[in-house]
Order: sequence, then structure tokens, then C-alpha cells
Amino acid sequence: MAVAAAAAALAAGPSPQRRAGLGPWFAVTPMLGWLALFVIVPTLMLLVISFCERDGLGRIVYSFTFENYTRAFDWKWLKILGISVWYAFLTTAICLVLGYPVAYFIGRSSERVRGLLIMLVMIPFWTSFLIRTYAWISILSQDGLLNALLMTLQITSAPIGFMYTPFAVILGLVYNFLPFMILPIYTSVEKLDGSLIEAAYDLGARPARVFSKVVLPLTQPGIAAGILLVFVPAIAMFAITNLMGGGANPTIGEVIQNQFTRARNQPFGAALGVLLLAIFIISLWLSSKFRRSEQE
Amino acid sequence: MTKHKTKLIAAACAGAMLLAGCGKKDETLKLFSWSEYVPQAVIDKFTKETGIKVSVENYSSNEEMLAKLLAGGGAYDLIQPSEYTVQAMIKENLLQELDQAKIPNLKNLAPEFRNMSFDPNNKFSVPWLAGFVGVVYNAEVVAGPVVGYKDVFTDEHAGRIVILDDARETVSWGLATAGIPINNVSDENLATITPLLKDWLGKVKVFDSDSPKTAMSNGDTDIGIVWSGEGALLFAENPKFQWVMPVEGVHMFVDNLAIPKTSQNKDKAEAFINFILRPDISKMISDEFPYYNPNLEARALLSPEQLNNPASYPPGFDVTSAQLFTDLGEQASKVDELITTLKAQ
Repeated sequence: MAVAAAAAALAAGPSPQRRAGLGPWFAVTPMLGWLALFVIVPTLMLLVISFCERDGLGRIVYSFTFENYTRAFDWKWLKILGISVWYAFLTTAICLVLGYPVAYFIGRSSERVRGLLIMLVMIPFWTSFLIRTYAWISILSQDGLLNALLMTLQITSAPIGFMYTPFAVILGLVYNFLPFMILPIYTSVEKLDGSLIEAAYDLGARPARVFSKVVLPLTQPGIAAGILLVFVPAIAMFAITNLMGGGANPTIGEVIQNQFTRARNQPFGAALGVLLLAIFIISLWLSSKFRRSEQE
Repeated sequence: MTKHKTKLIAAACAGAMLLAGCGKKDETLKLFSWSEYVPQAVIDKFTKETGIKVSVENYSSNEEMLAKLLAGGGAYDLIQPSEYTVQAMIKENLLQELDQAKIPNLKNLAPEFRNMSFDPNNKFSVPWLAGFVGVVYNAEVVAGPVVGYKDVFTDEHAGRIVILDDARETVSWGLATAGIPINNVSDENLATITPLLKDWLGKVKVFDSDSPKTAMSNGDTDIGIVWSGEGALLFAENPKFQWVMPVEGVHMFVDNLAIPKTSQNKDKAEAFINFILRPDISKMISDEFPYYNPNLEARALLSPEQLNNPASYPPGFDVTSAQLFTDLGEQASKVDELITTLKAQ
């Protein structure tokens, strides 16, 4: 929620400074209530639990301890966090490279085609991402569709082990998050004033220069929003990484999920969750600082 | 993984029921069960015969069930804990004593399931199904002989192995191989088996507790350690998937029905327990989930094919020789940490 709101704010660009009366406050009350109930209260609960202990059955014991944090700052957990960040970074980079041209193409097509293409990007969302991930398993498995195709075409003689590898994990992540990159960039491209591009050409700029000096800066809010929408959920994703990777390389999301279930250690899971949240907040803060200094 | 969706739907239903049933005493029996463990046909039949409506919520581990129950949500009437969780819940006084007069069908259970160590004389719990953890292998690829855990983790099979994504299970195999009783999960014993587990886990391709048979039947792995029900389904699909009870010692799990202290519908819960102990109903459960059925009268109704499945009913195996898990308490966290970090190496 918070991420989506921040991304929307980024995509919308700088907000105009204006004084408003009491009226708007009534209008935003449901929204503020929602935020308080489903964002602020759970976050505070997470924070409180992360300083608690637990008993043998996994019940939370409300006595103060720092132990969960001292345990969390161990190399073995930081390494898992590092791998998760790396996966998320790769996913974001690939989504950007693949998604930008697609978004640009859609944004510059005629209005009728545009609606159709956006529809095509959205259609996969009609099915649960878990079902779509299971579909990838039947495509990539050793006796699956892709290997059958490659062997029929005699491109390979023996089946290739696509599944349960880092490749499969990244593929699953990119596939699921690509629309989150395309849609915000598309919004920026759609708003792009075509006459500015024409003006750049008239003034003698080559395509590469038009892109780097005109198109890229003007679509930058969409890129920033897309990066945020892909990177943040990709770090904490556990279902796709577990299914596609075979659970052999646990990500931080899987570790946290385990603390709340099998490991019976909610306080430790909460502490890891708070650390993850801190990383998100810091990166959000850095990106907004970066944007502000760029605007000056 | 489908259970996440199930949960969402269950949550939505619960919300709708709250709105619809405000102020009215709840007459439905709230069953909190493992995902993919209670056939819908059994529930429908129960409702049809008794008029008692049943709402079902699912969980995917004993710990998840405990966490939700202890958090006070749901007010469940009937839960499905495994043996070590029954033990812990009896100790913590979280279960209601059963009125055995209302469960005459208890007589259908095999004697060895009437008086198990975790709950003598079925005072608090009634076995649903039992099962084993064993080795399954593709005989077309693996030459054998395969007799136990150590034959799984050979260099030859490296990268072609599937095991349960379950830290407690994995540790128990290591302990059994080292000749240590599987419930002696002390820090010292964990340290002893760490090098062994490190070697083992480095060779594993897939960790999956929900459906380990998928990696086997898709051809991505050749050998693995899985639940006996999964092994039975693989064998039924193709007899090339051979089942082996490990020589190092067999771990048996027993999943039970029990009534939490917080339930207001004890009579209905007991009616349900008695219902599923009926031979024809218990057979319906076996038809769908080919684990070891502790109900002797139901077993008499099974087909020779079902009874001859070596993973469901291992020939010549004495179930009283199998080892049960006892509750680990806080040590569960250490076990999880060890396996997670070994996986991430």
C-alpha cells in the first residue's frame, strides 16, 4: 500500500504547494483511517513484537529484549538478505530493459491500438500469479514442453535442467513483475509532448541524443515509479522464489515466513521484517533526495 | 501453495459470515484442518446426514495452526494436530477431554492406535491417518540397491534429489544416520550432524513439502525422501517409483482430530469424529489420500490394489517399531536456523 502510494506520488511528479481548507480533510478521512488501521497499526505491532520473547509453543512473551536484533545482524542472515537484494536488482534491471521499449511503443501507438495493447499486458492478471507460476513449472521441467520442443527440433539431444535454478527464479520474478514496470512508464510516455521531440529533431539532434536529452528525462518519473514497484516487492517475494528455485536458495521472504510458522519464532521474524522495512524506507528517502537534488 | 488462496477465500467467507450472522449463536462446526487432507465429499455427506453445517479453514503446518489458535481468532471446534503437537497441547491444557461414550466407532481403530504414547487411551485425540517418511526412487534411472537415507545422498545422485522442505524431518534423518535417537535434538547433537547435513543439503535439487511428487514425476529428480502418501501416489502412477522404508529407522507421523478448549460445539465435534471413524467414511478418506489408515474396519473395505501399495501399507512392517516425534519446544527455532543456513551456503 505505502509503496504503491509512494510510487503514485513519484509518477505524478512534484505536487503543487497550495493552501486548502477543512473540506479536503473530510474527503481524505476514510483514506487516513485505512492507512492507520492497515499500515500504521500493523507496523507498530511488528515493531513491538520484534523486541519480545516467545515460549516453547511460539506464544509471544511481552518482556523486552534486544536478542532478536543481535541475532538478525549475523552474517548468515545478512548473506541471505544480500542474495534477495541481488535477485530483486537483477529482476528490476531486466524488467526495465525489456519493459521500457514495450511501454514506449504502446505509449506512442494510435489510441485504438494503445487500449488493445494495454489490455494484453493486463490480461495475465486475471489469473492468480501462483497458477501462472505453476504453468511455468510445466513448461520448464525436465519432461516439460520446452525440453520436448528443443529435442523435437533437435536443438539439444538431452533435456536441459531449467527448473529449480537461479535462472528459473529470475524468469519467474521478471515474468510476474514486468507489467508493474510497463504500466507506470507507459503513463509517462503517454503524457510526453510529441512536439518536444520534433523540436529536438528540428534543432539537429540525432535519435540517440533526442532519447537521452528529451525522452528519458521526461519519462524519468515513470521509470522511478516502475523501479520502486518492481524492486520492493521482489525483495520480499517468497512464493515464486520457493516454487521456481526448489527452496534450495532461501530468500529473506522465505526466512521471515518460516519464523512465523515452522520455526515458532515470531519475534525474530518481526525483527527481520523491521530491518527489511528500514531498508525500504532508507531507499525511498534516498531516491526522493536524489530527485530533489536533480530538480534544483 | 494453493492454500494461500484458500486462506483468502476462507477469510472472505468468515467476513461474510460475520456480517450475516451478527448476534446469532453460531451453529456451524468450524473445522481447522491441513490443506488437502479432508475430502469435500466427506464433509458434504456429514452435513447431509446430520444437518450440521461445516466450515473449513486450512493450515500448512502444526505451528501455523497453533499460532492462529493461540492468537484467539477463529474459535475452531475441531483441529487436526500431529502427534507431537497433541502432546504439547495436552501439556499446555489446550484440549478438551473427549466423551468416549459419544464416539462408539473408536472400536474400529487398530489396537496399536488406541493407546499411543502421546495420548494414552485416546483421552484427547483420535487418529485420522498415519504415515511414514521414506525413500522413493525411479528404478529406471537408479540402479540401487537403495536401503536407507545414506543411499540417497551419494555423489552419483547429486543434483537429482528431492527432499521434504522440513527442518525437523531433515535433522531427524541425520540423527538416525548418526545412530542418535531422533528426538534428542540437543545443541551438541546438532553440532555432531552438521557436517553430514552440510554434505547432504549441498546435493539436493528440490526442497518441497507440499508436493514433492511433482519433481519426481516431471523427471527433474531421480530419488528423494518424501511422505508415504506421496510415495503411494507415485507408485500408483507408475510402479517404476519404488518405495523404501529406511533401515536407519522409520519415522511415523500420526495426524489426529482433537477439540480445542475454546470450542463451544463439543457435541458436534464429537459427532464428526464418530462419523469419520465409520468404515465407509474412513474408506472415502483413504481413497483420496493413500496414507496408512489406522481404521481396521475401513481397511477391510479397501481394494487389493490399495492394500498392496508398498508405500501405504509397507509389507511386513510393524508400526509399533516406528519412531514418533516428541515436541521440541524452543529448540524448534535452532533446528530451523541450522537447516536454513545450510541451504543458503
